[in-house]
Amino acid sequence: MSDALLTGDALLTDLGARLVTGSLSDEELLAGTGEAVPFQILPDANVVKIGGQSLIDRGRAAVFPVIEELVANLPRHRLIIGCGAGTRARHAYSIGLDLGLPTGVLSVLGTFVSSQNARMIHYLLARHGIPFIEPAGFAQLPLYLEERRAVVFFGMPPYTFWQRNPEVGAGRIPPHRTDTGVYLVSEVFGARSMIFIKDEKGLYTADPKKDPHATFIPRITVGELKELDLQDVVVERAVLDLMESAGHSRRIQIINGLEPGNITRALNGEHVGTVITSD
Amino acid sequence: MTDLTAAGVPDQRRHLESLLMRESLLDRDVQRRTEVPVFRMLPDSYVIKVGGRSVFDRGREVVYPVVHELSAALDDGYKLIFGTGGGARTRHVFAIGIDLGLPTGVLAQLAAADTLGTAHMLGTLLAPKGVVAIPPEIFGHLLPLFLAAVPGVIYNGLPPYSIWEHPPRVGRIPPHRTDAGCFLLAECFGCRDLILLKDVDGLYDDDPTRNPDATLIPEITVSELRARRLRTLPFDPVLLDLLDSARLVTRFRIVNALHPERIRPALAGENVGTVVSAG
Repeated sequence: MSDALLTGDALLTDLGARLVTGSLSDEELLAGTGEAVPFQILPDANVVKIGGQSLIDRGRAAVFPVIEELVANLPRHRLIIGCGAGTRARHAYSIGLDLGLPTGVLSVLGTFVSSQNARMIHYLLARHGIPFIEPAGFAQLPLYLEERRAVVFFGMPPYTFWQRNPEVGAGRIPPHRTDTGVYLVSEVFGARSMIFIKDEKGLYTADPKKDPHATFIPRITVGELKELDLQDVVVERAVLDLMESAGHSRRIQIINGLEPGNITRALNGEHVGTVITSD
Repeated sequence: MTDLTAAGVPDQRRHLESLLMRESLLDRDVQRRTEVPVFRMLPDSYVIKVGGRSVFDRGREVVYPVVHELSAALDDGYKLIFGTGGGARTRHVFAIGIDLGLPTGVLAQLAAADTLGTAHMLGTLLAPKGVVAIPPEIFGHLLPLFLAAVPGVIYNGLPPYSIWEHPPRVGRIPPHRTDAGCFLLAECFGCRDLILLKDVDGLYDDDPTRNPDATLIPEITVSELRARRLRTLPFDPVLLDLLDSARLVTRFRIVNALHPERIRPALAGENVGTVVSAG
């Protein structure tokens, strides 16, 4: 019945006909779907992520200057602001793991925490008319960016019970958390930049909070970074995997939000912190 | 609150005491420590994916006998969670979206509408049993409640990845489609089994629509299947990765809906098609 209804004149392209009749597991057919010229939905928007444990958990001392600098940049830059989760997510994951809860439920718990952080950031930005949007409200994002220059959202991707497990043996913490959720927003909208605001200068060879000998890496490709096979990295590994397949968001920047001026410089396209590129 | 980090500098982050306190969730050793057993939420329920193109698009001739068998299984006392595919309409909207240059995340968001349409078709036909399509927004959270109240529920099969869908390695088609959504749901809720209702007897050593001499493979593991490098698969290829990382659902069954008399034996654990297992 499908064939009678949807082949021939009903379909726009030859690819369309093959999509209706062919198998979506056929790599040759899939390759054909990558040939159309991609459309960038919001090419002027910048996606920035405010870290949870790294910034928001530090309270006023760290958060207020970040808010101030973001606001100062509004006349020149449109900002889609995602928020991390932090120590309360670690608390919820710890208890959840002890109770044997599945990774999908841990993902729900992480969403609640990143949502709390996004609400707090939203209230600090409220006097500038900046709204908070949930995943269901993303259709209004372009209007808000045009009218108010910025929106706040929670970074956790809305995978909830459908969150994928980590590999067997690699633990049960949701692998796609707020870095990934915010990054994917930059990818789908074809944003101008993806900036992670954290509390370290950028990427190091080890966690600089634990290893005083860790050395700073100002610029690296995903391939080179994977080659290093670091025990710890500054951004979720899933982001690196996704960058390899990304159509738009092939450059991310990690900066230290505790140092005034870095956000402005990064938004202006300057190389501060670490820049990771797909190739 | 303010103590020293291992690197000897004051830690000004406000921590909540937990096992994961101060930890980088990206540290591999920390991750491995979280590999703990999982609690099964719905150990007596089954997930059945009813194909879009393979079943529903064929209309009454195929769908009515399937619904008859599913009704009989519900009468037998099986707790069934149905996911539905989008079929030809999803392929069509993919074709238009790709021609317009829209990204993978947008295609995933669009697909949800078609699968929801199929869910409501099935919900209409199973309404006499009290089995209806549940809105995706509440489905996951209320699933155990629904299943305690009625013999089965229907949802749209898709994982709620929407604009947060991952860009695929090849082409633009969303990789997490309805087979994957049903698998992830079964894994998170710890369901007893996953059955994919398709229009083929199971997995063949070659595409049976192209090669009439192709032979059926009744049982296969993920590693054996990967080694065969088959050109097409009768299910979303990402299922192989999901099986690799599964903790609770370590197999799924492919059953031919054109032989609906096989559905109840499959629920009883009989191999009437192909069983794909982790390993």
